[in-house]
Amino acid sequence: MTVYRYFNKIAWNYKWAILMYIIIFFIIAVINSTDSDEREVSFTETKLNVGIVDKENSQLSKGLRKYIESKNNVVDTREDESFIREQIFLEIADAVIIIPEGFDDKVINKEESVIIYTDERKPQSIQIHNQVNKYLSFANITYGDGVFDLEDVDSALKETVEVDVIDKVGKSNNNKAVDWFRNYFNYTGYIILAVYISAIGLVMSDFTDSNIEMRRKISSKRFLHYNMEIYLGQLTIASITTLIFILGSIILMGKYLGEVQFAKYVVNLIVFSVAALCLTFLVNNITRNKYAINAISAVLSLGTSFISGIIVPQEVLGEKVLMVAKFFPSYYFVRVNDRTISSLLDIRNELFMQLLFAAAFLLIGLIFSKKARRA
Amino acid sequence: MNSLIRNCIYLGKNAFRDRDFVFWTLAYPIIMAIFFNAAFSGMMNLNMDNIQIGMTSHNQIRYIFEEMDFFDIHLIDNGNYVDRLHNDEIHGYIDDDFNLIVSKSGVRQTIIKEVLEQIKQTIKLNRPISGNEFSVNYISNRNQKANSLFIIFYSLIAMVSTYGIFAGIETVSIIQANLSYVGIRMNVAPLKKINFLMAGTIVAFLLNILSNGMLLLFINFILKIELFEEYVYTLILIALGNLFGIALGVFIGSSNKKSFNVKTVMGIAITLFLSFLSGLMGPWIKAIIDKNAPIIGRINPISIITNNLYRINILGNKSSAIEGILILLLYSILLLFMSYVFLRRKSYDSL
Repeated sequence: MTVYRYFNKIAWNYKWAILMYIIIFFIIAVINSTDSDEREVSFTETKLNVGIVDKENSQLSKGLRKYIESKNNVVDTREDESFIREQIFLEIADAVIIIPEGFDDKVINKEESVIIYTDERKPQSIQIHNQVNKYLSFANITYGDGVFDLEDVDSALKETVEVDVIDKVGKSNNNKAVDWFRNYFNYTGYIILAVYISAIGLVMSDFTDSNIEMRRKISSKRFLHYNMEIYLGQLTIASITTLIFILGSIILMGKYLGEVQFAKYVVNLIVFSVAALCLTFLVNNITRNKYAINAISAVLSLGTSFISGIIVPQEVLGEKVLMVAKFFPSYYFVRVNDRTISSLLDIRNELFMQLLFAAAFLLIGLIFSKKARRA
Repeated sequence: MNSLIRNCIYLGKNAFRDRDFVFWTLAYPIIMAIFFNAAFSGMMNLNMDNIQIGMTSHNQIRYIFEEMDFFDIHLIDNGNYVDRLHNDEIHGYIDDDFNLIVSKSGVRQTIIKEVLEQIKQTIKLNRPISGNEFSVNYISNRNQKANSLFIIFYSLIAMVSTYGIFAGIETVSIIQANLSYVGIRMNVAPLKKINFLMAGTIVAFLLNILSNGMLLLFINFILKIELFEEYVYTLILIALGNLFGIALGVFIGSSNKKSFNVKTVMGIAITLFLSFLSGLMGPWIKAIIDKNAPIIGRINPISIITNNLYRINILGNKSSAIEGILILLLYSILLLFMSYVFLRRKSYDSL
């Protein structure tokens, strides 16, 4: 097992190239897991992120503020147009409301009384406009003898409508955890492809150095055994990498395993790993040049991630983009992660497609390998 | 001076013969821009779609919803609203008893609910209404287009402006005796390393600026995405991004004894990570960081470039540009100074 031992030894020399990807991935995963606590989980009224600056400080402005705060999440803001516009542009705030001085009089005179910064193209702008206009209309209706009857307004605003949600079969109640696992495993698709191609590719390029190749050819080592040990080495690196990601998900979000379809993610990741390993085999047989391997690793991993729905959800990708994505296993990998299933049989087609890609990569790789041996 | 020009020509030729340089500096940014455009083009141009509501033709509140121009009414008299909800053909269904039925939560569903509630609340308010109370507009709207996806393109430009990092690593590797044969020769010959280092920095700077220019032209004329309005600050920031990248590359190259490949991977990882924090892989990461640790956005060199690029070009706000320029300059000077400390008077036991 000399070849296998040296394969692992060389791989260890490239540990930082591998570890950097993995460390960055886990930093991202941890950042995402802290964020997942704040996302909407089930059907509730959608709360917008709203910033409010109240310069009037009257009973009416306080009432409006209280109402808006009860219906939305409040974000910190300040009376600085550049700052507010940046908050809207970056989507940190869906809307920022400025209640100017002289607000009460303007409401009574039915004039434009508040300034709202929003993006008019988004439905969130309708929602906040509705809430503000409704509150001020109600307040004006109750206006008499120089005062607003805000108690009546508050009491009326407590009237609500029941909303019935039609159940979807097999849907988990904990959308938060489902979102996290889906994103986590989708991103592993990117990292696995990048790590496999660059790490295994770099190790392989050392083995296929012309001097080493010549020494191997005159040695007593049988070609079959040599190849088997090389493949075993590749399998070892691949298995360890994949295992790290599976264990990572258990360590980070282990308490939610029962609430998500964990088996689906694990089976899918293992099948995808097989396809990625076969793709690596193909790349290694197309080129042994380290520069080319680095380039292919970056382009294939990032490229397929962008077009397959790893970084941007598949539903927002264009049809033409998805059509191209269907020629890569990442597309089917993401489809499985995004789906809700009742049993593993539901995803057999996607798993089969990934295995089919694995077989195709392997076959094409073998053809290139044969050509290279003859050359 | 002559030797400086000669060294510049040699290093320039050397860079163009290096396939790694040609790929990472010239081709890779353009490939990334193509991927970004493919993935995000559908999300870049938002159009407000009306809210789709289903109800029967004899629903008593039909006329109220028909009066509001942001609702489209679908008349469903055969009771087959469940499939249409599941297929997202309608966002909500209002039955004849004014109950709302939805298949999921969302902004549109919330808006339908709030309008329905307003009808009930108006009854509860129990005050005389002349009819025009609800047509008054109390809001002066200031529209600001929200499109955080532009951040991705600015972040890409910021990232590739720092790609001088590779040329920086390369330049230092060439003059280090433990990393290249040229380095061995230089160390035993009476040549000044500083001359070579300066030539390397100049060449790296010019070539990277050329690559940035190609990317900007590609985004502007091929992908037809207009990102720039204010050119002076934009060019200063991109140029300083280049200087910072080269300085970081020289620092990585001189500060440790790892092989050239490992240094290159370090360069890729550092730029990718800093770009990720500035919103390259999605603006939501930037939002989380700005919320929880805003200082990272102020000191991350790629965030400085990204933030200032969108501020000056989209928001017309130049207030933080000078601060950003000074921080980038400071980083570059510090890194170059530390590299000089690492490089000077280096001696080898054996070569």
